Amino acid sequence: MDTQFIVSMLIILATFALYIWIAVYNTAKQTSDFYVAGRGVPPIFNGMAIGADWMSAASFIGMAGTIMLLGYDGLAYIMGWTGGYLFLTILLAPQLRKFGRYTVPEFIGDRFNSKAALIIAALCTIIISFTYSIGQLSGSGVVIGRLFEIDAKIGTMIGVVLIAFYAAFGGMKGITWTQVAQYIILIIAYLVPVIFMSFHLTSNPLPWISYGEILTKMGELDRELGISEYFAPFTNGTKWQFLALMFTLMCGTAGLPHVIVRFYTVGTMKAARWSGAWALVFIGLLYFSAPAYAAFARFILMTEVAGNKIAELPAWTQSWIDTGKLGIADTNGDGILQWLELQIANDIVVMATPEIANLGVFVIGLVAAGAMAAALSTAGGLMISISSSFAHDIYYRIINPQASEQKRLLIGRISIVVATLLAGIIALNPPGAITQIVAWAFALATGTFFPALVLGVWWKRANAKGTIAGMLVGLAVTLIYIFSAKYGGFTILGIIDTGAGIFGAIAAFATNIIVSLSTRAPSQELQDAVINLRYPEQMVYKDGEVYLNDGSSKE
Amino acid sequence: MKKIDKKVADAYFREKNTYMAVYFAIWFLVSYVMVALADSLTDVQFLGFPFHYFMGAIGALLTFIILLFVNAIVGDKIDKKYGISEARNEEIGANNMINH
Repeated sequence: MDTQFIVSMLIILATFALYIWIAVYNTAKQTSDFYVAGRGVPPIFNGMAIGADWMSAASFIGMAGTIMLLGYDGLAYIMGWTGGYLFLTILLAPQLRKFGRYTVPEFIGDRFNSKAALIIAALCTIIISFTYSIGQLSGSGVVIGRLFEIDAKIGTMIGVVLIAFYAAFGGMKGITWTQVAQYIILIIAYLVPVIFMSFHLTSNPLPWISYGEILTKMGELDRELGISEYFAPFTNGTKWQFLALMFTLMCGTAGLPHVIVRFYTVGTMKAARWSGAWALVFIGLLYFSAPAYAAFARFILMTEVAGNKIAELPAWTQSWIDTGKLGIADTNGDGILQWLELQIANDIVVMATPEIANLGVFVIGLVAAGAMAAALSTAGGLMISISSSFAHDIYYRIINPQASEQKRLLIGRISIVVATLLAGIIALNPPGAITQIVAWAFALATGTFFPALVLGVWWKRANAKGTIAGMLVGLAVTLIYIFSAKYGGFTILGIIDTGAGIFGAIAAFATNIIVSLSTRAPSQELQDAVINLRYPEQMVYKDGEVYLNDGSSKE
Repeated sequence: MKKIDKKVADAYFREKNTYMAVYFAIWFLVSYVMVALADSLTDVQFLGFPFHYFMGAIGALLTFIILLFVNAIVGDKIDKKYGISEARNEEIGANNMINH
């Protein structure tokens, strides 16, 4: 046991103690606490909670590494994962909040007055959240693997136990305030190394301005090495892939059930608008920094690590080789490590860079704690989505409407444990890098919920048959495209598996519209309810007229 | 309950939609249009960055954040203009959910 291990472990344990204390202090006592935190969270704090819920292992651990390896092409993740907040905040969240339900499947079930639509939406929620949680478990495996200097697989198994226990315990109310704490930990952990590196490399402590010159210098280094420049566009995929990936991530953002549900924890449509704005500020802090992190990491590796004798590499290399995520091969046998002989997995860049840059045991431990906060907070939100879809939407709304609160909470907790175990088994041999797995979850949300919600909120003519057909066709097209692109090498315009959402969305919109128009219109009552969503709470749409509910008389 | 003139209710909806169209036009310009033009912007420098890289890493996200705050502020102003009371909204919102 070395000093680094002890320091990292102490910081992680201290942060965990904080989360558990907050969770115990706010234990869920009622179903509404468990699912939507009693609907009384102020917008700024809700924005932080959305930020923590949102910024998963993919954002914290995976994104900077992905940008480092893809250069400009990796910026599709920056624009895609933030641009969707406009869809969410302007087009969907306030309207869904006015409809007043607990979950996304419940909205779809009641908006279309269809049990079949409710069940299919609940299944889609489970599939999307499950895929997403594979990425989180794989991320916690990387962190725990590094900490104990063991294989990432064993790290993943430890992560499964932690996350299952953590999510089953709290519920949404505990999670809201825990997530606020997790946001603060993860953002500090992300900013400290970037600011240090910025100061070390450019003598300017503001990474967001200073990395421009590093980019330019790297362009020169790349030209010397005869590889394409870091900032040159579309070198790792076509322009169409970039656009398709960006579209998929944007629409997926607006269709992710565990993020939408965070907008149900506020009181009004106005609070939903402000929550979305604050959320993007807090998310932006990390997303502005990720490309800087990527640039600094690549620059340090190129200038301070490459070119050294392999026999004299510092100790950090061995710890990462042990996790199976770093490869060093002296292909030309000269005993010196060349840039091209270094194989570094996307998923370890953020974790490894503070060690590479020699930032000291405290910063390295802090980054480990931040990465665990990111994986835990998102996994918590995902598991609540899975458990509410199962225990609330399927079990309570369909199978057993007489179930007592205790029984529903119990079923919810069991479904969390089962889902975490199953996702953990797949995460032992992750089918892709963290950002890639998470991009599949977004593609699935783009192909299913995005069209169903947009049409459900804005088109009164959309009916149950159209929406069910749309979700099923969108799901099938997205899944088929992901599998045939990843394993069959099939692509259209060079669009690979991560951009699959665009095909799912086109198919789902078309199916929904065609089937809705060729079947009977929804009842007048349902159509009125849809028009009602266009106005704030105080305005009520009824029988072709709008009324102002000023409390003057009852109805 | 007080009936609102149909014209006033429609005006509320139209005003909100007009702003929405403007936000999404700007959103489309800074993301999709910028990416489509990326290869022709590589030689333009901006604040020490190649311009296409600046837009992808900083410019687009900054615009998104500003748009969301404009949306929140303008949304509040429109509500106020049409005599919507936030206190009353909160009261209605608190009761507006299916009780399970």
